[in-house]
Amino acid sequence: MEMKFTTKNVNVYYGDAQAINNVSLDIPDRAVMAMIGPSGCGKSTYLRCLNRMNDTIPIARVDGDIRLDGHDIHSEIDVVHLRARVGMVFQKPNPFPKSIFDNIAYGPKLHGIATKKSDLEAIVEESLQKAGLWNEVKDRLGSPGTGLSGGQQQRLCIARAIAVSPEVILMDEPCSALDPIATAKIEELIDELRQNYCIAIVTHSMQQAARVSQRTAFFHLGDLVESGPTTEIFTNPKDQRTQDYITGRFG
Amino acid sequence: MFLWIAVALLLIIMGAYYTGRGRAVSSVSGNYTALHSLPSYHGYYVALWAGLPAFILSIIWFFVAPQVLEGIVLSQAPESVTSLPPERLQVFMADVAAIAQGGIPSQVTPEREAAAEIYGSYLSVSNWLMFAVAISLAVAGLTYGRARIRPRLRARNSVESMVNLVLIICSTIAILTTVGIVFSLLFEALRFFARVPFTDFLFGLQWSPQTAIRADQVGGSGEFGAVPIFAGTFLITLIAMFVAVPIGLMSAIYLSDYASNSVRSVVKPILEILAGVPTVVYGFFAALTVAPTLRAWGGSIGLDVASESALAAGLVMGVMIIPFVSSLSDDVINAVPQSLRDASAGLGATNSETIRQVILPAALPGIVGAILLAVSRAIGETMIVVMAAGLAANLTANPLEAVTTVTVQIVTLLVGDQEFDSAKTLAAFALGLTLFAVTLVLNVIALRIVQRYREKYD
Repeated sequence: MEMKFTTKNVNVYYGDAQAINNVSLDIPDRAVMAMIGPSGCGKSTYLRCLNRMNDTIPIARVDGDIRLDGHDIHSEIDVVHLRARVGMVFQKPNPFPKSIFDNIAYGPKLHGIATKKSDLEAIVEESLQKAGLWNEVKDRLGSPGTGLSGGQQQRLCIARAIAVSPEVILMDEPCSALDPIATAKIEELIDELRQNYCIAIVTHSMQQAARVSQRTAFFHLGDLVESGPTTEIFTNPKDQRTQDYITGRFG
Repeated sequence: MFLWIAVALLLIIMGAYYTGRGRAVSSVSGNYTALHSLPSYHGYYVALWAGLPAFILSIIWFFVAPQVLEGIVLSQAPESVTSLPPERLQVFMADVAAIAQGGIPSQVTPEREAAAEIYGSYLSVSNWLMFAVAISLAVAGLTYGRARIRPRLRARNSVESMVNLVLIICSTIAILTTVGIVFSLLFEALRFFARVPFTDFLFGLQWSPQTAIRADQVGGSGEFGAVPIFAGTFLITLIAMFVAVPIGLMSAIYLSDYASNSVRSVVKPILEILAGVPTVVYGFFAALTVAPTLRAWGGSIGLDVASESALAAGLVMGVMIIPFVSSLSDDVINAVPQSLRDASAGLGATNSETIRQVILPAALPGIVGAILLAVSRAIGETMIVVMAAGLAANLTANPLEAVTTVTVQIVTLLVGDQEFDSAKTLAAFALGLTLFAVTLVLNVIALRIVQRYREKYD
């Protein structure tokens, strides 16, 4: 399996508190990597290292070696280009208070991917179709994105991330604010997107991790306890802590 | 006398509280849970019965007694006094009261002294009567309230509805004051419009409010066209906004999205110091520092700048309003959720792209509201323009000339020594009313915009 991200000895500090300790993990291309673990274990913090979103938190400090396709994301890739290549979907749907069309067109306009209106329209339609939202919104692209339901908003955010044609999509608990039906739709979508993208997803739901991912990493108290093929982690964990967590003994 | 009544009432009220509380406790022989309301509510209940009727009576007495006294005095006054015109009669009564209470009357005449003697004797009767009635009312209230105390008495509900009433009264006072101000403006303005036609005032291009004080005096004819002074007001406001809006907005953006915490903790308080500078200080800064500097600069490049110019006043007023714009804009920019900033950054937008394309559009209604509030602040500002903008009502769009504003004219109209019912002084009320209408409309629009903005994220 080809690795998209390789990370070695990643440490993150919030002020004096260390949030993750010496995490070394590789993330495969064209597959879904799930990160599980109890609250506060550092899985979201690790995810946010991958597109340098921790830069927006003044007190956060990241060290370690993080490479995207072999290039160091801190020294060799500009943060704007990095984030264009590594898209992100957040826990709470956060569409801009703009129209559905403008929400999707925002990224392509920013990076100069499309300048002509017809190109832009094509990108919007394609992204919405990939996110499985096209049929629901094609007649009201001009209405505000904030007017959609929670599940639709989250798919809009996925479409927005896809629109800049990233290589990686990071998802930080994308279904935690959604009902089971919307969750099922998003999971289906993740499974389709895996054909073309590298996907890393943080989730609290072990069933979700088992359903959508090919590889799983288990975090505990800032440490990466173990990682491997999802079936192995769930059926035959090597570490006692993993065993306890997936059988519901804590967390 | 009023002090003594207040002290006595206070003592009775305190006594009432403890009586009520004690009686409630003893009525259930110390078993608090048998009471419907907590013992302290029973205390307040009796205290209210003791204090409230006596307090209301004192207030009514305070307003009614002088009228009654006046009636008594006039009924015993000679014909020469009762036939006086109303305003002279008012002066007469004021003098009588002053003599009776050892104040300084405008003049002392035998009639006044005689009336004062009557006034004085009835005044002391009235005061003693009031004292006696208030105290006995308080004691009666206490007794009545105390007698009503029993375990099932819903003392809490009564006290709370009373508190509710007090809160309503307090909030009504502010509203009534506003209504009172509007009406006082309105009636005086109507007297003005009886002399000068409304359309002449609103559309006239000449403003020279000097009228002859005496019939034989050669004075100005009195022109009351308000256009030049409103134009001056808007010119200065415009200049102020050109200074305050860009600087205030940019500093708000810097503070909310670029500054580190340590910078913000220093810069924000300093900006707010600007808001604490008294306007009169800004005024002499404008008149003594900015205006001469502008004049010198203008002179050096061949421009003729008046020593009191709209530009100087406008610039300084703009500086004064900067903290107003910046702190309100800072609030609305901070109210844009962090999740939107994250979403934009996550798509590879730079900080400035995020601000221009996501944050400012989302915060725009709030910013517009902030600017409109700042405009009405600028329009109402007086001190700076009095000192730096001049008094001549020029109808001009040239910021280098002296202009005058509505507030300046109101000040100069009212500080003169004209009779108070001349067209000149009444014009001040018409100006005030118009200004009030303009700022009211601006404020309403601003509040509506800010409200619309609030609904967006809820």
